[in-house]
Amino acid sequence: MTPGSTNSQGRQLAALSAPAVLFTVAMIAFPVVYTIWLGFHAFSSTGEASFAGGANYAALVADGEFWNGLYVTFALYALSMVLQLVAGIYLAMLLFHSKRLSGLLRSLLISPFMMPPVVAGMMWLVILDPSLGAANYILVSLGLPASEWLASPTWVIPTIALIDTWQWAPYVALIVLGGLQSLPPSVYEAAQIDGASPFRIFRRITLPLLLPTIVTAAVLRSVDLLRFFDIIYITTQGGPGNASNTLNIYGFRVGFEFFNIGYASALMITLSAIVLAAVLVLNRLRNAVAW
Amino acid sequence: MLKNRSIPAVVLSVLLAGTATSAFAFDWKAHEGETVSFLANNNPWSQAVLSYKDEFTALTGINLRVDSYQEQQMRQRLVTVLNSGSDEIDVFMTLASREGQQFAASGWYADLSAYTQGSVAPEYDFAGVSPALVKAATFDGKLTSIPLNLEGPLLYYRTDIFEKCGLAKPASLDDVRAAAEKIKECDAGVTPFASRGLKPAIAYTFSNVLHNMGGTYIVDGKSALCAPAGQKAIAWYGDLMREYGPPGAANYSFYQISALYRSGRAAMAFESSNELRTIMEGGERLNDTDVIPLPAGEAGTVPTAIGWGLAISSRSARKDAAWYFVQWASSPEMQKRLALQGVASPRASVAAEEEYKAWIAEAPVRASWQAALGVLASDGSSEVGYPIIANPESRDYIGQAVQDVLLGQRSVEEACAAADSALDGLIARK
Repeated sequence: MTPGSTNSQGRQLAALSAPAVLFTVAMIAFPVVYTIWLGFHAFSSTGEASFAGGANYAALVADGEFWNGLYVTFALYALSMVLQLVAGIYLAMLLFHSKRLSGLLRSLLISPFMMPPVVAGMMWLVILDPSLGAANYILVSLGLPASEWLASPTWVIPTIALIDTWQWAPYVALIVLGGLQSLPPSVYEAAQIDGASPFRIFRRITLPLLLPTIVTAAVLRSVDLLRFFDIIYITTQGGPGNASNTLNIYGFRVGFEFFNIGYASALMITLSAIVLAAVLVLNRLRNAVAW
Repeated sequence: MLKNRSIPAVVLSVLLAGTATSAFAFDWKAHEGETVSFLANNNPWSQAVLSYKDEFTALTGINLRVDSYQEQQMRQRLVTVLNSGSDEIDVFMTLASREGQQFAASGWYADLSAYTQGSVAPEYDFAGVSPALVKAATFDGKLTSIPLNLEGPLLYYRTDIFEKCGLAKPASLDDVRAAAEKIKECDAGVTPFASRGLKPAIAYTFSNVLHNMGGTYIVDGKSALCAPAGQKAIAWYGDLMREYGPPGAANYSFYQISALYRSGRAAMAFESSNELRTIMEGGERLNDTDVIPLPAGEAGTVPTAIGWGLAISSRSARKDAAWYFVQWASSPEMQKRLALQGVASPRASVAAEEEYKAWIAEAPVRASWQAALGVLASDGSSEVGYPIIANPESRDYIGQAVQDVLLGQRSVEEACAAADSALDGLIARK
């Protein structure tokens, strides 16, 4: 094949794929560009847009609810991430070492994250109802004090983090399990010959070797956790008070309940920038720990 | 010749001519073959009415394309479509007390006044629709929607528990509080009082308390939650829920309240008239419950009365055909059918129907429910939250003030001052 014919083929391929590529790029770019445009505009009660410059972004800085939303978003992110990584790694180890049960256990583990979040939210809302729910019934039966769970400003974030962990820790476990299965057995054999204890093997060999896989799981969960919406909306709508009002919930309510589209767009662009920054940082971390 | 006739004869002939015109000129098949799109809130009204939609198509020849969502999702889609200027939606359900001012100011509603006066079937009887609800759906002289139901919060209470604790039917807001106190001592197994505690949902029930106390949301252009009546209302509601409400009251909305009361775990529930059917499911509460409007405060009884409405989009390219659907769905016959399924009608005439009377007579609680609805229809106020364009946002600040007191996080004075400050900003916003 001559260089000329390769170039010709390349041009043909580019021409053939251009419509699909352009359509895909437009589908991705249009909502983002439109939201950025909305964020720089104010809307009158009759829906007329006027250029507002950076007024919506300046208002964010002065808005106490924005800072509360930022705090809630990061608190929920940090707590859920830690819980899901710890539980996910533990479950993966359990599955890895209980090979006979793994088929059944894997099927059971998949079920929570196959469940639509709205269904999961409704189910936990019923279980955690302080008066009628099973959670308090069990606590009281064991002689423990009942909790207000989602209705307590103090406990609402840990409770939502636990619900999300119930749903997504198995997902982390399956990713980590894949990583565990690809680790070189020779390293373990050498460590066992040297008489290393199981805990020491886990801490000094398994965990460092698994780090790239764990960071990959963290990246995937970060995107979801920073724009966490459905379960919170179903269970608390951001309450009690504003105790679970994440930026995503706040932005949704400002846009679709209070009809302030310009300000809501500014909130969403800010949140998107945060998600993007978090993914970039974690990607760098993943490259740094790759082996 | 006109001059040879008496004036009453002329008037009579004009009236008869009008009747004859609407009786004979109206043609249900005038828009045969057209398609009308309907965006519905998936609530008991739409569920019931859509079960008859084949009858509508058979009657008119109009195809009905239905998109049905839960309330918030429906509103989200509606705002997106209307904001973009699309004619995709012809008819939609709307809550005038909540978004009426906003949507009217945005020009999203078609004016239905002319339709109700001209293009109506002889049996339609628009004059029979609750004047209070028609007024609540009228903005700047334009009729924005046709009322579909009548609803408002009512006090459901357990007659057996009241009897056991030696209590009479509460006649005032003070009586409600005194009853809650007594029940707490007398029957530790039940929650004395349950009402809405979820922040965005509080305004619906709180507004009734405020109005009974003699309060109103705006005085001289300023937010008035810190006026004496406002403070009393916040204290009454917040303290009652904190001291005698269910655990986790701050997350309570209609779902939790109905479930708690139906299960026999609450002595009083202040919840929507629409919840009667849910509360009575299973029949356990059928014979031990009475339903009354919220008892009087210093200003008497001013119940909250609102209703969903059916609106036509101003962007619709098929308004005439859309009106046929609105008319069919809000007709006396359809509203009677829905009333038999527990959807309270905005037409007083439905209560006089034999079938409906027989349904009411089946259980005493239905009779008291119907009587309470009568009070809502005659004395009700549709002011739920601030009567401003930013009404939905105002409900959030009302809810926050009440929740602050309910959770014991602020005093009444601090809570109302914070809310008034934010609400003054909303009132000033154009």
